[in-house]
Amino acid sequence: MWKRIKRARGLWLLLIPMLLWIGLLFVLPHVKLFILSFQERRGGAFTLDNYAAFFHKSLYTKVFIRTALFSIFTTLLTLLISFPAAFIITKVLGKKMKALLLLAIVLPYWVSELIQAFTWMVLFRETGVISYVLQYLGITHHNIEFLYHNSTIVVGLVYTSILFMTIPIMNSLDTLDDSLIEASYDLGGDFWSTMREIIIPHAGPGIMVGSIMVFMLNLGNYVTVTLLGGKNSLWFTEAIYNQFIVRFNQNQGSAFGVILLTFSVIFVWIVLKITKQDLTEAM
Amino acid sequence: MSQEIDVSLVHVTKRFGDLTAVDDVSFDIPKGSFFSVLGPSGSGKTTILRMIAGFETPTSGDIYIGGERVNDVPPNKRRCNMVFQRLALFPMMNVLENVTFGLRRRGGMSKAEMEKLAEDALARVGLQGLGKRKINQISGGQQQRVALARSLVLDPTVLLLDEPLGSLDLKLRQAMKLELKHLQARMGTTFVYITHDQTIALAMSDTIAVINKGKIEQIAPPEVLYRRPATHFVASFVGENNKLLAGRVTRQVDDQVCEVDFGGIPMVGRMGDPLKPGDTVDLFIRPEMILLRPGKHQDGILGKITEINFDGSHSLIAVALTESSRPLAINVKLQHTEQAPDVAVGDIVTLSWRWDAANAFHPVDQSHIEKEA
Repeated sequence: MWKRIKRARGLWLLLIPMLLWIGLLFVLPHVKLFILSFQERRGGAFTLDNYAAFFHKSLYTKVFIRTALFSIFTTLLTLLISFPAAFIITKVLGKKMKALLLLAIVLPYWVSELIQAFTWMVLFRETGVISYVLQYLGITHHNIEFLYHNSTIVVGLVYTSILFMTIPIMNSLDTLDDSLIEASYDLGGDFWSTMREIIIPHAGPGIMVGSIMVFMLNLGNYVTVTLLGGKNSLWFTEAIYNQFIVRFNQNQGSAFGVILLTFSVIFVWIVLKITKQDLTEAM
Repeated sequence: MSQEIDVSLVHVTKRFGDLTAVDDVSFDIPKGSFFSVLGPSGSGKTTILRMIAGFETPTSGDIYIGGERVNDVPPNKRRCNMVFQRLALFPMMNVLENVTFGLRRRGGMSKAEMEKLAEDALARVGLQGLGKRKINQISGGQQQRVALARSLVLDPTVLLLDEPLGSLDLKLRQAMKLELKHLQARMGTTFVYITHDQTIALAMSDTIAVINKGKIEQIAPPEVLYRRPATHFVASFVGENNKLLAGRVTRQVDDQVCEVDFGGIPMVGRMGDPLKPGDTVDLFIRPEMILLRPGKHQDGILGKITEINFDGSHSLIAVALTESSRPLAINVKLQHTEQAPDVAVGDIVTLSWRWDAANAFHPVDQSHIEKEA
């Protein structure tokens, strides 16, 4: 039966909508982006100036490195926060608590990222809730601005990525047979050695998928970063936005876009190599 | 005779909420013996094993391993190791790394020493040279051996086995059964084997504890268990049996033997329970211990063959008792020897058996007795 289904040529037709979406909305624009990045702003002749500008203007390189480092840091922080939660939810809690906590993780994502960021602004701004509460408690006597700090950006990014880290890790931990953990203890293992030798290696693909997704999301984040970090959040996506929208320099913006894409692809590839994970296995 | 005891359970009870999984169980396992806990699923046998291993704590009672009370000792500090039902080999490691896992946790040994010990353990279970293989690159039978080697390399006082042969096909199970027994005899390690498969328990064990609904029914060597079951449950659970229900005791011959009436037919049997004339009884008769003679004889029970099922070395012959006032049938297992009578469906035959081929017990509430395949 299955073989007959597999042989049916018509089956491939079902792939067409997705291929169209990817082709028209992803591949085509990126090809255009790639071409634009090698063209002069006026006339469209071939040039490497757009890339040269990136490497010569230290502001751009600095913003880029800052964005990359912050994305990596935030991804690690998200992993650090999500892994214990995922472990406890899948392996320790009973069914009811499990469902409740899962809901607590998913629920915030029913609200759009934009609204989330606005609600955070209500909390964090100079005349916001936290500042008010601190004054009410007498801890401080003047307004404190919590917005527009690096730490606020990190807090916001971690918050928006927790789900994308927790779910893949939970999925991979779900497939871990509890008797493996028991076997480890039975053979003399303790909590840390079991974690290191059994649980984390098993969850490896899930950790990888989560980390890749969160890293990409952070790297390309615009809304949260701009709203919580302000105009001077110095995030690379903002530089791209400025080129396209503020300066109408599509070619420069395209070059930035290609650089960001190339970096993230190479970085993920290197990480996969170092951790000896296979992308097909991880995904 | 004083014998060194390796594992001892003293009035151990385990409750999960309202459910009493293990109910006041006590037994001693002598050093170096092969001890089986036999019972249907849900009888509490796995809970007993998990308590010995340390994954569950008794609600009351004490557990001793090698003379030391271990109730509060965590599993990673107990001198016993477990072979899990689904083996629980670590798929992220190769065979050798699996076997050295316990040694690495223990420490105090160089890598080369550990690998030497592991190779020895692998050789003992017939797996030399496979250390570099991945777990999913070896067969089910080889995985069993790796699981054994992984535990045995730690030289435990007691090896706990949670029905590890259950997942193998019949041929392999038979082979591993013998191998396990030989291995145990060779190493002298105490084995505690949990199973619902009586053929495995009967073949391998020095002693079997039959457990039902959390309670021990009988602890005895396999032969005693088979020939002189102590309870109604053991008689119906262990081995094949003809089970005749609700007869009446007519006479007590001596302190062991009684005569029983089923539908007007007198039969003889061993008293499993203390019985007196007039008692209602169930009678269990071993099909292979019944003598079947063609034709009518004075000293036996008359019957007519209704069915013959050929099964290679023997045939299972269904005999309807013609002189009974109620429909009664007895199965006879006929070995295909030179002396075996030539019989056909419809033949009149005479059945007889020695008193100890049958065991008589007071009837019990039947609802909870289910014999497992």
